[in-house]
Amino acid sequence: MNRILVVDDEANIRILYAEELSEEGYEVATAANTAEAIEKLQEKDFDLAVLDIKLKNESGIDLLQKLVKERHDMPVVLCSAFSCYKDDFSAWLADSYVVKSGDLTELKQEIARVLAKKAQRAKLA
Amino acid sequence: MDWECCWNKETLEPGECPNILADEEGGLLSSKQRRILEKCVDCALFSRDVARSSERGNALAPVLALLNQEYQHQKTQIQSLVSFLDSKTLEIRFLHELGSVLQSSMDLDEVLSVALTAITAGKGFGMNRAFLLLMDREQGLLKGHLAIGPRNIEEASQAWDEIARNDLDLKSLAQNFRLSKITSERAKFRDVLDQLIIPVSNSNHILIRALDSRHPLLVEHAFRNPDVDPDFARLLGVDTFLLMPLVSRNRRVGLIIADNFITHREITNEDLRLLETFTFTVAFAVERAALYERLQVELNRVTEAHDKLKEQQELIVRMEKMALVGRITSSIAHSIRNPLMIIGGFARSILRNTPSTDPKRDFIESIVKEARQLESVLDDILNYSDSLYPTRDFWDANQLIESTLRDMQPVLIERDCQCSFVPNPGLPLVYIDFKQLSYCVKTLIMSDMDGRSGDRISIELKGCDDSVLIVIDNQDRNISSEQLEEMLTPFSATSEMGTGIGMALCRTMLEKQGITLDVKARPQGGILYTMKLSTRKEEQA
Repeated sequence: MNRILVVDDEANIRILYAEELSEEGYEVATAANTAEAIEKLQEKDFDLAVLDIKLKNESGIDLLQKLVKERHDMPVVLCSAFSCYKDDFSAWLADSYVVKSGDLTELKQEIARVLAKKAQRAKLA
Repeated sequence: MDWECCWNKETLEPGECPNILADEEGGLLSSKQRRILEKCVDCALFSRDVARSSERGNALAPVLALLNQEYQHQKTQIQSLVSFLDSKTLEIRFLHELGSVLQSSMDLDEVLSVALTAITAGKGFGMNRAFLLLMDREQGLLKGHLAIGPRNIEEASQAWDEIARNDLDLKSLAQNFRLSKITSERAKFRDVLDQLIIPVSNSNHILIRALDSRHPLLVEHAFRNPDVDPDFARLLGVDTFLLMPLVSRNRRVGLIIADNFITHREITNEDLRLLETFTFTVAFAVERAALYERLQVELNRVTEAHDKLKEQQELIVRMEKMALVGRITSSIAHSIRNPLMIIGGFARSILRNTPSTDPKRDFIESIVKEARQLESVLDDILNYSDSLYPTRDFWDANQLIESTLRDMQPVLIERDCQCSFVPNPGLPLVYIDFKQLSYCVKTLIMSDMDGRSGDRISIELKGCDDSVLIVIDNQDRNISSEQLEEMLTPFSATSEMGTGIGMALCRTMLEKQGITLDVKARPQGGILYTMKLSTRKEEQA
């Protein structure tokens, strides 16, 4: 079972993601900020992280850069209410970018795609 | 003793004295003293009376003869001085007139016209030809600028006849030259003027030497003068010419060459002296006019810069306002998106776990539908914020259409829409904001379908001058001109676009990029959209 870490400062969004992604068969852990996310990452390995960009007083992009540097084997999906970050160079570090929507179909599709790609890479290695 | 002359008579009758003409004033006939001083001293009869008196032993007669002789000598000298004074008065008057014209003019062409006309006019210095060379300080060259005068005897006699016939004063001659002859004279002497280009560094050239000396120079025997470049002498075609440097406040302004190419009249030291006085005024006027001209150019530049600055300031203020609107819009939209997403997300989740028989299912479905609708409105608002700042670059229009259609594939399939596009690979790149244009094409197609299914839409790219046309044609869409107007008005509801700002937003986005959108509803049915994309990088509209 693939393990996903969801980082978002909105409690209801964390609950929604956890519920929806669990239904898809993933093991989901959530974090409200960077410190919590790093703590969770130290506790166990994750196959993928879903990051919000605007965290309270923090930037998801900073966390993304940290993850790419320290956990380069863990793909990251950025999920933000801001579509403009799609054009931001820093956001290009992420494996995928999804604009937040009540319809989580796109997010789920992207998670599946990125994980499949990761699995394929692992098989080739 | 009988006197032959009438000197001893107190009064005379008209015609009595042969030296008093009939039209001379009557006072002479009644004044013996005036008659003796003005007429008798020059009269042959009076001289004979004095001689006869001397022969008869009058002791005072030789003294009288001596006094008469001296008187005549003094009279001649006075007449000569008066004549000299008259000529000087004329000279001063001429120079004064010239000075007044030159000092009052700020127009370089006018100054040059007056200067050259004064040198060549019979009422001026009466030289045959004059060439004016001006300093080009940036290039370090002394360059031929203007010339005046005839090129041959026929032309000379024709011009001088005309001047004599019209009898114009110097000012009118100069005005005439400036208005009707300056261009033709320049063209006439173009071959000579083009060759009169001397580097200021060439200190051996006679012109530069004259300029450096700052004094007029009379060059004689030019064809065998070792100081004169033979090519230069041949170019002028005269043996004697005058060089007059134009120097103002120690700045070398230019130089005038004058000669008597036609008449070959000797150039005297008097000519030289007179022209030296004149060139000082000309140099000053030329420099002042040139400075004024440069000042005008600078002034225009400053005015232009000021206008541009003002425009920029207005633009900045406008952009700041727009940025503020954009920031507020964006902030509100994002604040709404998260709760909306939570509402929509949870509603979907509940809907999935609600049996189809549950009467509450319809309510939950409505929540999901409305949340989706609101998200779509939010997308439009955010797109509007983005549209305020288009980011343009050169893109392939084929790539634009292919990528947009690829994104739209699921909707097109869902609506059973046949959308045909054949790439046109020979087209130049277009200068656009790719993202915005893609949004516009998408919106046009979506709006075109207007919630219907089975439409046949064709997209075509055409090259047209400096632009590429995107033509979207839907023959299955029937729309009246009122409906078309409604479609292009913001916030008019359509089935697909929710609040209906999509088309109006397209308009704004395209206008910001200087792209025209032409929408035509055909009377026989069908609708045609044409977007004209520029292939050139121009200032944003």
